[in-house]
Amino acid sequence: MKEQHSNLMKKSILNFFKKGVPMLKKDKKVDMDNKPSIIKGPVEGRTIIGEKISIDGAIRGREDLFIEGSVKGKIEVEAHHLTVGTRGQVEAEIQAANVTISGRLVGNINATGRVKITKEADFNGEIKSKSISVEDGAYLKAVIELTRKPDKKTVPVVKPEEKPASEPVKESFTMAGKSDKGN
Amino acid sequence: MTTFASSSDRRRQDSDHRFKTVDYTSNALQLFMDGLDGRPSAQVLDLGPVCQENIRFLARRVKRVYVCDMFIRLDRCLGKGDSVDRIWPELDYPPKSFDGILIWELADRLEDGGVRSLVDRCHALLKPGGMAVVLVLGEQAARLGVNSFVLGQNFGVRLRPQPHLNLPIRGRQNRDILAMMTPLKPAKSFICRLGFMEFLFTRD
Repeated sequence: MKEQHSNLMKKSILNFFKKGVPMLKKDKKVDMDNKPSIIKGPVEGRTIIGEKISIDGAIRGREDLFIEGSVKGKIEVEAHHLTVGTRGQVEAEIQAANVTISGRLVGNINATGRVKITKEADFNGEIKSKSISVEDGAYLKAVIELTRKPDKKTVPVVKPEEKPASEPVKESFTMAGKSDKGN
Repeated sequence: MTTFASSSDRRRQDSDHRFKTVDYTSNALQLFMDGLDGRPSAQVLDLGPVCQENIRFLARRVKRVYVCDMFIRLDRCLGKGDSVDRIWPELDYPPKSFDGILIWELADRLEDGGVRSLVDRCHALLKPGGMAVVLVLGEQAARLGVNSFVLGQNFGVRLRPQPHLNLPIRGRQNRDILAMMTPLKPAKSFICRLGFMEFLFTRD
């Protein structure tokens, strides 16, 4: 009887992880209110950290993650999409495929795909990604480095005969030197 | 026939009108980018309103793009009635970090003391030989409101209204701007369409 019960337990734990529910480390603090958070939108295929949940620690997952609560630490959802909702407060190092920021995020993002920053966002940190989109009005203090495709043609980096990079600006200053090319 | 439009409709139509009609080719930005070409690890700081096109434009051409929207910071600061001095700690980058700084028309949105603080910080943040681009909108400024200057192909620039920003414009003369940008050294200036002036400054 005991053996049967233990097997059942094992099976249910295995199912729990097979579904891709993110693993939270045991030693990390998770605060939850009695009332469930009200979250709109589809739930299947993604985990939602609701408005009234705060997590201090590392999150690793194998499905999309949507944060409306508070997270401090490290977030790794490498092949998936991380969204910080308008009410989300995140202070973390982030590794994800794609990231959408609509809330407050302090930290560095390393994304293999696209980073999207909406006008509601307040972001402070570094972004390394393949592409980026930013809406006007976003509150941003960022360092941005886009992954570049390697050039097909190899161009020599150093050209000894080349003029110094600052050459054009050394020209003498002239008021109203040149009219607009486009006119 | 008389037609009526809500104030928001009128604002949108007005914005659309401005967006379609105001564009020009920027010589200063072309020189700025040319100057960065020989610097494979160039770092550029953009102080203008957040603009996706500009971020992409710059990120494809330089190693790292630093974005610190001082327009929105100034807007929030003035909105709260705080001293403008509260925005300067945002520019807390190490000295001599940047090969170039895009100031746009921020200088003309500040009072004299603010311009001095801005210039001192930009001077400290630029590497020797580094460049800064400054715009003066002249008589068009009041009509145009606050815009981002959207960089396009061949250094074409379009103005995109930023209705969320409400900032005063001082309407300084070109010579006033030139005097206030000291110790940065003027290198080139251009008169563009609609009487805009573009300045390229350098740091010794």
